[in-house]
Amino acid sequence: MATEYILEINNLKTQFVVRRRRVVRAVDGVTFKVRRGKILGLVGESGCGKSVTAHSIMRLLPKTAVIPEGSILFHPEGGESVDMAKLNPTGRKIRSIRGNEISMIFQDPMASLNPVYNIGDQIIEVLREHSKITKKEALERAVRMLELLSIPKASERIKDYPHQFSGGMKQRVMIAMGLICRPQLLIADEPTTALDVTIQAQIIELIKEMQSEFGFSTIIITHNMGIVADMADDVAVMYMGKIVEFGTKEDVFLNPLHPYTQALLKSVPILGNAGEDKLIPIRGVTPDPSEMPPGCAFEPRCDFATEACKTCVPGRVGVTDSHIVRCVHCIGEKLDD
Amino acid sequence: MLKYFFKRLLVMIPMMLAISLLVFGALELTPGDPLTAQFPPDQLVGMSQEDLDALREAVGLNDPMLVRYFRWLIAFFTGDMGYSIQTGTPISQVISYLLPQTVILAAAALLISTIFGLIFGIIAATKHNTIWDYLASVIGVIGISMPEFFIGIVAILIFAINLGWLPAQGRGSADATFIQNLRYLILPASSLGLSLAAALTRYTRNSMMDVMNQDYVKTARAKGLSESRVFFKHVFRNALMPISVLIFLRLPMLIGGSVVIEQVFGYAGIGNRLLTAINSSDYQLVLTIILMLSFVALLASLLIDLVTALLDPRVRL
Repeated sequence: MATEYILEINNLKTQFVVRRRRVVRAVDGVTFKVRRGKILGLVGESGCGKSVTAHSIMRLLPKTAVIPEGSILFHPEGGESVDMAKLNPTGRKIRSIRGNEISMIFQDPMASLNPVYNIGDQIIEVLREHSKITKKEALERAVRMLELLSIPKASERIKDYPHQFSGGMKQRVMIAMGLICRPQLLIADEPTTALDVTIQAQIIELIKEMQSEFGFSTIIITHNMGIVADMADDVAVMYMGKIVEFGTKEDVFLNPLHPYTQALLKSVPILGNAGEDKLIPIRGVTPDPSEMPPGCAFEPRCDFATEACKTCVPGRVGVTDSHIVRCVHCIGEKLDD
Repeated sequence: MLKYFFKRLLVMIPMMLAISLLVFGALELTPGDPLTAQFPPDQLVGMSQEDLDALREAVGLNDPMLVRYFRWLIAFFTGDMGYSIQTGTPISQVISYLLPQTVILAAAALLISTIFGLIFGIIAATKHNTIWDYLASVIGVIGISMPEFFIGIVAILIFAINLGWLPAQGRGSADATFIQNLRYLILPASSLGLSLAAALTRYTRNSMMDVMNQDYVKTARAKGLSESRVFFKHVFRNALMPISVLIFLRLPMLIGGSVVIEQVFGYAGIGNRLLTAINSSDYQLVLTIILMLSFVALLASLLIDLVTALLDPRVRL
């Protein structure tokens, strides 16, 4: 069943049980959809739950995490839809999806490769896990993949160990590892944060190139508005475990409706927009996730806060078909959570 | 890899020479006639002072020190280590008879402590913050803090005297096979290995937990690998690197500990002999044993380098 969406997340909640039975609601009712073959940018500041959302999709959460509510529907092309939230996190089904149909690239390429195996071993490991293929064939495919990702002398370098590669090269190896099984969805969790600026641009270009070459869908998690503006088709803005604004890139960048999105756009420099506008920081700090305000989570920092914001959690409002905002001040069709 | 091995081997040579020079220097300082350490006592009995002087000149005892050092070194490596002043037996014979026994004891202790230390450490790490983890920690602290001789005495009391399962003393009969005498090894080897097992349990737990939190373990899971494959291929091998260093570092300590344990269990080994040699001022024998033991320690450090290089490609550079 091929729908328009490859992934539908409905009211996902991921919670961590910490000391003294306190519960931290890292992801608190997240709903969004990823369009097939498109790039979704998931933005938000540190600790807002972006990474936890991504890890929830892959079910790579630590043992202290639970998903008490919500669904993560994955609709693979030519396969049956699965609710990832219901799967056993160490079971056979989730393992057949991980690395094969959904791949993930992590933030720190220096730490994400095992230092004691050469990169060839590590790339073909995922290939041989998911398909019956000889070691020789697998290595040939790995070399071709590395060449595609412009790693010079790939057939020689495949025998090298991670410490013999630079940071940007390691991230290319991670991308090769993520793409070698031709996944339908790639989740890139801050893929450029640990790299320097010139390498960042190369990696972003590379992901875009690969995406147009293989046609997979992508979720790119970042706190860098520039990257989102550059590559995303859709944008989800996350604050304190909730998606506060969701829409196409044009919706969010040209007509930001949520005060947090507006503040966020005013507080970061965007390339090519130098000069005139002064950057305005968002006042206050993010609340402690275990002691959330009763109303809107952004209320204490919001310039437009009213009495209504203090008491009730704003629901989802569909301003247009594609543009959804969680703010009491926005007028539109009321949607379910 | 081979190049690295030979490099390490070459580095060992000057170290061995330095140690042997120290031991030779100590021998020079010991009181008594060096002749008594070079010839069996019955040969020297009844010789006149002139004969002794002539003999001294003939074997080169009046030569410069450096010459005597190299002569001694060559003799040492060709198996001529002189004679025990106390018993008059050739030292090479004493060592070839007793050293293997101590090596067997230390190796058994190493084996037992490695197996138990790894198993308990892995259990503590995979079930961390559960009752099993706490239990392993408590037993670990007890094991580390109790001295070996005390553990040995308690073990004799419980397993040999009260329960009567295992022999309390000795090494078994010379006629019996190695397998039949194995039960004599259990108590001394376990007592000797307990503190290492305890240290290893703690070390394995921490090393495992450290590696389990590494990003590359998450990468391995994200590839769709099974938990057991993630554990054995990605966690275990990385966790093993610091653990293997600890194991081999402890090898010389085990041999040192055998001095005490052999005494407690009346086990005829080189440690036991070392103690009697010290008590009877048998310097030649004492220093030869010490030289042998330092070579064992050097060998252990070579093993550390080798195993680390095998496990970790970053070391081979």
